Amino acid sequence: MSEVLQQPRLAQESDDLPSTGILRSYLPAILAVVGSCLMVGLRMRVGGASFISDGALMMLALACYLTAAVFHLTNLYAPSEMAQKVGLWLATAGVFFNLSSWGVRWINARDHELAIILNNGGEMPWFFRYIPFANLYDLSLAFAFGAGITTLLIAHRKSFRFLGALTLPLASLILLLARFIGNEFINLPPILDSYWRPIHVGIASLSYGVALVCFAIAVVYLLKDGVKTEAMAIWSSIFALSVFATVSRFSVFTSGVYSASTFLPVTSGRRPLPLRVDIPLVGPTLIVAGLLLVGVIIAFGIYLAKQDEKARLWGHRLLKLSLVTQASAIALLVSQVKTMTDLVSRIDPRQYERFGAWMAEQQGMDKAQIAQLGADQLIRSSEQFVQQRGSQLFLSLNANPVELAALITAFAATLFVILFSFRTERLRATLPPLEKLDSLMYKTASVAFAMLAMLLITGAVWANESWGRYWGWDSKETGALVAWLTYAAFLHTRIARGWSGRRSAYFALLGFLLVIFTYLGVSYLLPGLHSYA
Amino acid sequence: MQNEKKDSSVLIHHSAFLVHHFLTWMTKANGSVIMRSLISSCWHPGRWSYAHGPKPHEGPVPLDERETLSRAYIFTLMSAIEETKPDASLRPAPRVRTGSNASTLLTKLMRQLSSVRLGVSLLVLLVILSMIGMLIMQQNVDGFDKYYAALTPSQKLLYGSLGFFDIYHVWYFNALLLVLSLNIVLASIDRFPGAWRYISRRKLEASRPYIMNQPQHATMMLEGESRSAAAARIASACRSVGLKPVVTEREGRTYIFAERGAWNRLGAYAVHVALLTIFTGGFLTAQFGRDGQMPLQPGASSSTMTNLAFELDQVRRVPAPLPFTVTCLDIQQKLIEKDGSIQANNTIDWLTRIKITDEYGEREGLVHLNEPYDYRGYRFFQASFISFGMARHITLQLTPTTGGGAPQQVTIKRDGSATLADGTKIAFEDFQPDFILGQGGKPDSRSGEYNKPAAILQVTTPSGEQKRAYAFQMELPDGAPVGAPVAGYKFKLVDFEKVPLQHVLAIQKDPGKIPFYVGGLMLILMLGAVFFFSHQRVWAVIEEDAEATGSAVAVALGGNTNRNKLGFEDRFKKLVKAIVG
Repeated sequence: MSEVLQQPRLAQESDDLPSTGILRSYLPAILAVVGSCLMVGLRMRVGGASFISDGALMMLALACYLTAAVFHLTNLYAPSEMAQKVGLWLATAGVFFNLSSWGVRWINARDHELAIILNNGGEMPWFFRYIPFANLYDLSLAFAFGAGITTLLIAHRKSFRFLGALTLPLASLILLLARFIGNEFINLPPILDSYWRPIHVGIASLSYGVALVCFAIAVVYLLKDGVKTEAMAIWSSIFALSVFATVSRFSVFTSGVYSASTFLPVTSGRRPLPLRVDIPLVGPTLIVAGLLLVGVIIAFGIYLAKQDEKARLWGHRLLKLSLVTQASAIALLVSQVKTMTDLVSRIDPRQYERFGAWMAEQQGMDKAQIAQLGADQLIRSSEQFVQQRGSQLFLSLNANPVELAALITAFAATLFVILFSFRTERLRATLPPLEKLDSLMYKTASVAFAMLAMLLITGAVWANESWGRYWGWDSKETGALVAWLTYAAFLHTRIARGWSGRRSAYFALLGFLLVIFTYLGVSYLLPGLHSYA
Repeated sequence: MQNEKKDSSVLIHHSAFLVHHFLTWMTKANGSVIMRSLISSCWHPGRWSYAHGPKPHEGPVPLDERETLSRAYIFTLMSAIEETKPDASLRPAPRVRTGSNASTLLTKLMRQLSSVRLGVSLLVLLVILSMIGMLIMQQNVDGFDKYYAALTPSQKLLYGSLGFFDIYHVWYFNALLLVLSLNIVLASIDRFPGAWRYISRRKLEASRPYIMNQPQHATMMLEGESRSAAAARIASACRSVGLKPVVTEREGRTYIFAERGAWNRLGAYAVHVALLTIFTGGFLTAQFGRDGQMPLQPGASSSTMTNLAFELDQVRRVPAPLPFTVTCLDIQQKLIEKDGSIQANNTIDWLTRIKITDEYGEREGLVHLNEPYDYRGYRFFQASFISFGMARHITLQLTPTTGGGAPQQVTIKRDGSATLADGTKIAFEDFQPDFILGQGGKPDSRSGEYNKPAAILQVTTPSGEQKRAYAFQMELPDGAPVGAPVAGYKFKLVDFEKVPLQHVLAIQKDPGKIPFYVGGLMLILMLGAVFFFSHQRVWAVIEEDAEATGSAVAVALGGNTNRNKLGFEDRFKKLVKAIVG
């Protein structure tokens, strides 16, 4: 009897409405979580010896994330239903392996320590003592899961499935970092043995994951909004240059050498030493890559200022050359770390004084005593150490996890800028409309904001229950606060100034960088209570 | 625009340099007209009526004045964080300020203090100061003395005079927090009436142009239906998609208004109330809270705690009296590997059993890691320990040197004693983890490690004679004087439970705990409520179509949401489907 004369505006994508029920559109996320619960149950039944290890599961997750990202990227450039589906289900498998790895690690950690405790006649500690939130490896595993599950949840809208093309490579980088940190079990610092730990750290990993997705949306927004890929290349080059400048204790650009830290075998495994071995060729290769990037910055700078087409062309050539150079630097580094022998001749004696001071510190000397020893004494003790134990030293990819992951991240950033510069207009046309991206960015930023608030509050309550103070301006606390305030500024500029779109996107980028700073920078650069994770 | 420039020049005169600099930058950005008009309307005494009810205004009058004004409210007195970007056409035209002479300095100050822009500037300042605090080591952090010593004199002077070594307690940081709190309070008061109107005065009627101006809208022609039947159909469709409808009939038109989650407009205020509650808690803790530390070993008692006062690289210990006496009954350390070290990485838990004595009597309590003990508002936490090895109890093997009796074992607690069947009393006097005979033959320890553990015993023979004996864990060389039999027994230390010399308890009295916890819980719940829900509104107007033959009604349907646009789009599509389907 009735008819619609005018269709509702904005109804252009009818496929966007989940047509077959809410539950079905969330199926990948549900399957991944339920599946990994079953996996953990199976691990408890079957027992450790015959079961797949958490490390292997993590590598499977990494493989799934990477291949899923490839399918998602293919779908962006050459839209195909098939590629999209495969990408989605591979991502689902990745999340499943990711969470399984975390769950299996929980059981493994329990078995590992339980044997010792029961041997000593101790009583059985509670189950949550072993929840894998003890160090940066565990947190990274959970962080990648947070990013993965958020991607799957957002993928319930078909038009946002493409996001995996960005979020999954980022999640892979985090898993790669975890791989470099290494999955050895550590004895839990006793203060962490509290029921607040699963709550606080669980929220941390999920909120970081949401912040990562928000970051990815912001990047896509900027791309869609017409930010030139040349401008992006300048930013990614600055990032890569700062990575090259800081790794290996600032030695790449100052003395042209890249050096890697060493391990010393000890009875309970291995011990990392701040004694670095020069890896030949890597330093010069990084310098070349860096110089190419400086060229990229100059060329694109000229292009952006004067619209000079020639400069643009050269910039892209240099960018590609730099990508190849970066890849060879990483390959040289990895292969030599795996194969190099005769480390002693490659130890630079200039670091002896610092290493001697470190050894003295390890022996329980305080600063004043070390100062009294004098430089000569410190150098002599280092020389002696290298003579006696030098032959036992070995290299490993686990020695400098953050440096290695940073080099690979710089490479990935360059790669993505190159990808974006390829058929940019076509890519822009495939992306969802700006309005939707902005809306989704706002949504993820508000969720990240709410979760970071929970993180801060649960952290304060835990600190008060354990130490008797809420807030001590510890660097991790302050870092999380600063990230939270950035998201707060994002939300408040939106009401007060009506800032949205591109300006919001910059806030989202800044917010995530601060989250990463809190997550890694604080642990590795600044002293404080959270230095274990 | 003229107005705006004037405002900012006034501002320059009355603001502190940093705030001014940032504000000027922000004023240059777009969208400031709205804020300006809000400010001038709310903090001008003569203009309160505008904030509370529609009043004619100058400038071009659009279609429906009442509606435009109420739209202006949406953006000027917007309650929560609005997703919609203010659209240029909806901005109220700049008004001529009537009582500009009356706008005193105070009014201007109040305007500034209640602006969200100031709030954002303060957030940015807070971020900058916090970053400084992260990058420059703070004086209460371990290792500050070394860091401080390595600075150049000019750095010391500069950072010191700016208060950077204790930036979170310096006066301007506190002032910043105070102004931020004031800003939150004022901005909330300022904006609350606007938010409350969404609940108290719902806009039940909307004209066709107003509806067609909504981000989501549709028109449809329903044939063969009367207005009332169409209204019933739309109302039931609204209900089916979770919107609560109200039908109004006026001047030959039927209006329908349906909404959900109107309370969401108030969520943002609840969030800010929660924040202020947390700040109040923090203030109470900082002003009236007490804290300190107390080292304890079994048998010791104390009624003072020690507070650490930091002043650059100097640390002072300030004693603070407590209204009761704490006596340590026992300390215990649960280890992962029983024979491992007593360092933290081999520890599951530290336990301290205490007795508290005061005018109300005596009570015993247990303090262990992550489980503080609470008494009279004072809470006792396991803070640290002095890692010098001791024994909580020892197990001795006593071999009689005469009569050839079988060896017997006794277990004695720290500072305790045992009496054997023959009347010999053995008291566990002391313990040395790395035994050495010091000056004058006094037992001493070379280190705090369990290298040569030895128990020092006081043996009282049945005849009342007191002698000292040593029990070692390791085999001693024959004829070693310390291993000589005493009172007819040869002593050997078979086993002992490792425990440190002292535990250090942190003691804290915190009147701000309840506000802090309540505020924290409220913040989490309210942020969830704000960001996971939204206020969605739909209007419809039903008019009889004069041109149509037979009975037919024209419907215009439109709506908006303050958040979750995508979710609202879905709902709107479902609504249209439900009406026509």
